[in-house]
Amino acid sequence: MDSFSSPSSLSSGSSESSGRSAEAMMDQLKAQLAQAYAEEFLETVRSKCFAKCITKPGTSLSGSESSCVSRCVERYIEATGIVGRALFSSPR
Amino acid sequence: MDKSEELQQFLELEKQKAMVSEMVGKLTNVCWDKCITGTPGSKLSSGESSCLTNCAQRYMDMSIIIMKRFQSMQ
Repeated sequence: MDSFSSPSSLSSGSSESSGRSAEAMMDQLKAQLAQAYAEEFLETVRSKCFAKCITKPGTSLSGSESSCVSRCVERYIEATGIVGRALFSSPR
Repeated sequence: MDKSEELQQFLELEKQKAMVSEMVGKLTNVCWDKCITGTPGSKLSSGESSCLTNCAQRYMDMSIIIMKRFQSMQ
């Protein structure tokens, strides 16, 4: 029996490559989940900040509208942190 | 632990993480509307911060009441 047809070398070869492809799949899934989360988060921020800051749309964004939007993004991220900590720091 | 067990554990963990971030996202969405009533400032006031904390925790309290109520009706 030569080394190409021996069962042990075949099985170790295929479990090694399936190990690598399982890990690649797990990494890809994590990346996709992170991307989906980021897109959903951005959509929420867009919606909230448009409602708060662009009350009467003009022909361009004014300086106060732009700075309102910047502040709004920062505040929303801050709010997300507060809500996250509230959920996990004091169990009832 | 073989590969399929490892994958199952991985998927279960990722599912939990996704559920947690969905809950945080939804609560922040709802509590922002309840608590940030004016134009966003350069920082959150202490009133706004505590409102957000209270909002999240009261939502969870409410959730427990709803579950207990629902279970007692089964």
